[in-house]
Amino acid sequence: MPTDPASPGPAIPLARWADRQIKAMADAHASPALAALDGATLMGERGANYRISGSISPGLGGSHLMPTRDGGWFALTLIREIDRELLPALFGSADIDVHDWNAIAAAVLRHDCNDLVARGRALGLPVASADEAPVSSPIEVMHRGEQRERPAGHRPLVIDMSAIWAGPLAGHLLWQAGMEVVKVESRSRPDLIRRDDPATFARINQGKASLLVDFASESEKAALVALIRRADVVIESSRPRALRHLGIDAEALVREVPGLVWLSVTGHGASGEAANWVGIGNDCGVAGGLSRAMADVSGEIGYVGDAIADPLTGITAAHEGLAAYRRGFAQRIGLSMSAITALALAQERDHDRTAIDAELGAWGAATGCPFPLVRPRMLQAPVRPLGADTVRYLDAFAQC
Amino acid sequence: MKPGTRLKSAACDTEVMVIRSADGQIECGGSPMGEARPTEPAPLAADFSAGTLMGKRYIDSEGKYELLCVKPGKGSLSVEGAALVVKDAKPLPASD
Repeated sequence: MPTDPASPGPAIPLARWADRQIKAMADAHASPALAALDGATLMGERGANYRISGSISPGLGGSHLMPTRDGGWFALTLIREIDRELLPALFGSADIDVHDWNAIAAAVLRHDCNDLVARGRALGLPVASADEAPVSSPIEVMHRGEQRERPAGHRPLVIDMSAIWAGPLAGHLLWQAGMEVVKVESRSRPDLIRRDDPATFARINQGKASLLVDFASESEKAALVALIRRADVVIESSRPRALRHLGIDAEALVREVPGLVWLSVTGHGASGEAANWVGIGNDCGVAGGLSRAMADVSGEIGYVGDAIADPLTGITAAHEGLAAYRRGFAQRIGLSMSAITALALAQERDHDRTAIDAELGAWGAATGCPFPLVRPRMLQAPVRPLGADTVRYLDAFAQC
Repeated sequence: MKPGTRLKSAACDTEVMVIRSADGQIECGGSPMGEARPTEPAPLAADFSAGTLMGKRYIDSEGKYELLCVKPGKGSLSVEGAALVVKDAKPLPASD
């Protein structure tokens, strides 16, 4: 809950854009449950007790925005300890204290921004430049397949293999719209948010069935693919090699299963070289131009909102997924978090330039203030224990 | 070899980035790797033809060498003839 109700912080920029997407989606799908949601809550409930913290991302995440030798700003997110081992390669130097952010910032200042971004992406690190333009389309239809006629009253089945926030939020909104959602987690790497932020995990995964799959087991992988062939919607956020490793060929499934809507939630795009890049909500917000936009109006550079590309993308993915489901044709849709952030900013500027500039200016001036007052939603459904529904959904376990 | 150095295979398409290394010869497909690819490709040694996987990190048994595959190929990686192995998977998907 907010710690300082007497002086709530400024509104999260782009919350009104998010609100318009939710209302449009609720209208198109005639869903009272979706209509009851609002952008400010979905974007602000996780950070309700965060403080605006300038060039260090608030709350979970560990993203830092640092100046480079050529006057740019470089964002680096370190939430996996194993990523720190890559920092000597990022900076071309074996003697850097990879656990000291001051040492990391000093190394950043010895390099040019674009060189760090190019090398960071080759290394699989979540990095961004405040001055880059996203390389992918925000929403890209990659493959198309056949149409499926569905009987009246059909309850769609959603297989949600994504993790953290954006993909699971999309699954949550589809659940709000009345769909049956099955969350699939890997035995070797369950969704980190389950452990790191249980309250957020509960809000965006409530009501979903929970499956635990051993991706080292050929029979369990085959059972998962068989389940996908019965599904109406798939949500995933894996890099191409990881999907192949799971024995999942998204393109073939979309061509073979009529009506299957496949949502690929990515940092920077689902096709081409960018499909191999890693992106997290805070650095993708930087890559989408939001930090630079704030600096232009406030003079202060920093992170805008809380992992802002995540909720913007989750809402967009649900909106696109519902529209595709209603049309009935199979398709794979790639969603780029950085490009969706840039799109939201551009559309909000077209909608009301004065208002978005005022909000960005207020956010830039509010370092140290609490996040805006948002009442996190109460749970409406139980959170299933990890793996509680594996046997019920996967044929491979039917005899157990 | 400096961390961050990009090495190319003489025998296949593999490219790696050096994460950590010592003074030994880094090889792919049985032939030394270099910063430039030779004009005449080296033959792929049968013992080192298991292939490399994009995005995987490869290490030696003593932890002195670590290479990240940034472009996959048909050869497999070794140092002074001793094969490198894949390091464990990272616990996170591509995006959140």
